[in-house]
Amino acid sequence: MVENSQKITALELLKMARKYTKNDQTTSQTPDIKVMVLGSYSTQYISSCLEYLLNTQIDKKIEVLDGQYNSILNNVLDENSQLHAYEPDILVLLPDVEDFINYAPEKFSTDAQVKSAVQKVVDFYKALWAKIPSKCLILQANFVVPNLRALGNLEANYIWSKSSFISAVNLELLHKRPSNVLLLDFEQLASALGKNKWFDYQAYNMYKFGFSLDFLPEVVDLIQRQISATRGATKKCLVLDLDNTIWGGIVGDDGIDGIELDPHTPVGESYRHFQKYVLELKKRGVILAICSKNDEENAREPFEKNKYMILQLADISCFMANWDDKANNIKKIADVLNIGVDSMVFFDDNPAERCIVQKFIPECLVVDVPKEIADYTRALEDAHAFDWLQLTAEDLNRTSNYAANTERVSLATSFTNYADYLDALQMVAHIGQIKHEQIPRFSQLINKSNQFNLRTIRYTEAEIEKLYNNNAVHCIEITLADKFSEHGLISCIILRRNDTELFIDTWLMSCRVLKRGVEDLALEYIVELAKNWGFKQISAEYIPTKKNKMVLNFYQELGFEKVDETPTGNVYYKLEINDELETKKHYIKLRRKDEHD
Amino acid sequence: MNTINKLQDIFRDVFDDDEIEINQDMTANDLEDWDSLMHIQLLVAAEEKFSIKFSTAEVLNLKNVGDFVALIDKKLENK
Repeated sequence: MVENSQKITALELLKMARKYTKNDQTTSQTPDIKVMVLGSYSTQYISSCLEYLLNTQIDKKIEVLDGQYNSILNNVLDENSQLHAYEPDILVLLPDVEDFINYAPEKFSTDAQVKSAVQKVVDFYKALWAKIPSKCLILQANFVVPNLRALGNLEANYIWSKSSFISAVNLELLHKRPSNVLLLDFEQLASALGKNKWFDYQAYNMYKFGFSLDFLPEVVDLIQRQISATRGATKKCLVLDLDNTIWGGIVGDDGIDGIELDPHTPVGESYRHFQKYVLELKKRGVILAICSKNDEENAREPFEKNKYMILQLADISCFMANWDDKANNIKKIADVLNIGVDSMVFFDDNPAERCIVQKFIPECLVVDVPKEIADYTRALEDAHAFDWLQLTAEDLNRTSNYAANTERVSLATSFTNYADYLDALQMVAHIGQIKHEQIPRFSQLINKSNQFNLRTIRYTEAEIEKLYNNNAVHCIEITLADKFSEHGLISCIILRRNDTELFIDTWLMSCRVLKRGVEDLALEYIVELAKNWGFKQISAEYIPTKKNKMVLNFYQELGFEKVDETPTGNVYYKLEINDELETKKHYIKLRRKDEHD
Repeated sequence: MNTINKLQDIFRDVFDDDEIEINQDMTANDLEDWDSLMHIQLLVAAEEKFSIKFSTAEVLNLKNVGDFVALIDKKLENK
């Protein structure tokens, strides 16, 4: 468990909310944002805490109107209700499993019957949503699957069990939610906090509380974060320290191999675990910045040279390593990235640095970093810093891991003619018999490729070694590079020959380089070999698998002739080699100088 | 400090009012802000302070502050 000194109890929160309401001088003022809370249980305590929290978080007057106990149906369906008169900007709906559990499917219901029961529940909510003007944002709690399970472990084994049914309702709500409905993940929250405690039947029976009062702060915080996000009050950038934050030790003293990152040690593993989580954040669109007191060259070196680093320089949008104070550096980072300091989150193991940043940039979220490294991830997660209302394609592109890919795509769209695009890629390939040191990678690709794989015959490294030494077999590799990246070994071909026949035993290619003309280049090479060896034809075979439909007509498209087909779908092909045979034009330049045969 | 004095501290804390004086015969009608939500907070705060847990029946039988004090004392004796 992560120590969290700042966590307040439900009673403290209720007290602060009460104080706020009592001293609020602005009650007569027209609110800027109107929020209404409707629930299947008592929601008064949620509403008052929510109003207090929102007004401390957002620099606007926010009013939260409570619909009282069991207020969803009458408010939404009755056109003369408090809800329709109030016209809230945001409606918080807190329904409960009990609302629909009587409609759960019968035991031994078929899949179709379960589906229909789920649909009925979701149709009800769809009808409810339709009654609310679409300009109103609806925050609706999903359903917490109760931990009273009459069927025991079988709950998880029958599609018609109540647990399965409720989970299915949650999933279907997700499928059917219109853009103005955002689900509040109560199911996850309850699981994380502990369902045995979440469900407090005494509190429900006595006061109609929907969940244990102990978890009021967490629930209100979840709702508050979503509402704050509507005001654009979201964090976009994670600013990280380096030494003892993303690796152990001081790179300036310990050197790039002296820092602790080795996954074979518990400490190294802890830092790597944190880096992996940070990389996940980056992949979902969080901008990463480094703010470290270091010589820049020292600071960059582990990214370039330590093999255990998970974060790469390309993942970092702004790298600030110098000896200035961190508050100033964070402001500089904000300028470089053209974002506000209020959208930044600071993560640093040093409490003194955190204190300075908190003091000089109070808008910046400073994460309370625990002493235990293994808890870094949880501390960052529990800061709930990046709880956005939605994720767009632009969010991901902003920090795209595949910056080069993005550029490649935009290059493609700027050409009207695909050939021009291929030409502009400036592809350079090497094709030839494999070298001994390529055997591991060659066999790896052979065992991994499923889609662009004509026969899907797997060979171990030892078997490839044997083929490598067999004069009647040729293992051919293709490596490719273009303007943007080194793709490395991307295609494997194995040819077998005897006195009368040249047979393509294996032909596979990495899907990363589809539609680049690599196959045309390869055929050109094979035909040339065949001619040199004096063959009049090349034979080949397609063996269908579940995954290789992509190359079903591959040989036909290259000009091969179908010779035979077995009942299982294996197709034999041949290609006559004569002077009229023309291979397709491609746009790949060859580099053959280091060929070894 | 006896139970009623400790309970008075809880009342003052929950109601955020240091002027409150409680007595045995006092009921929810005697304090303007004593609504159901405040009632729950009083019970939870008392449970926390005395490290006890009230049953549903015990809570429902409370008629006035005197009952509340007696209940706390009973729970403390049987702890």
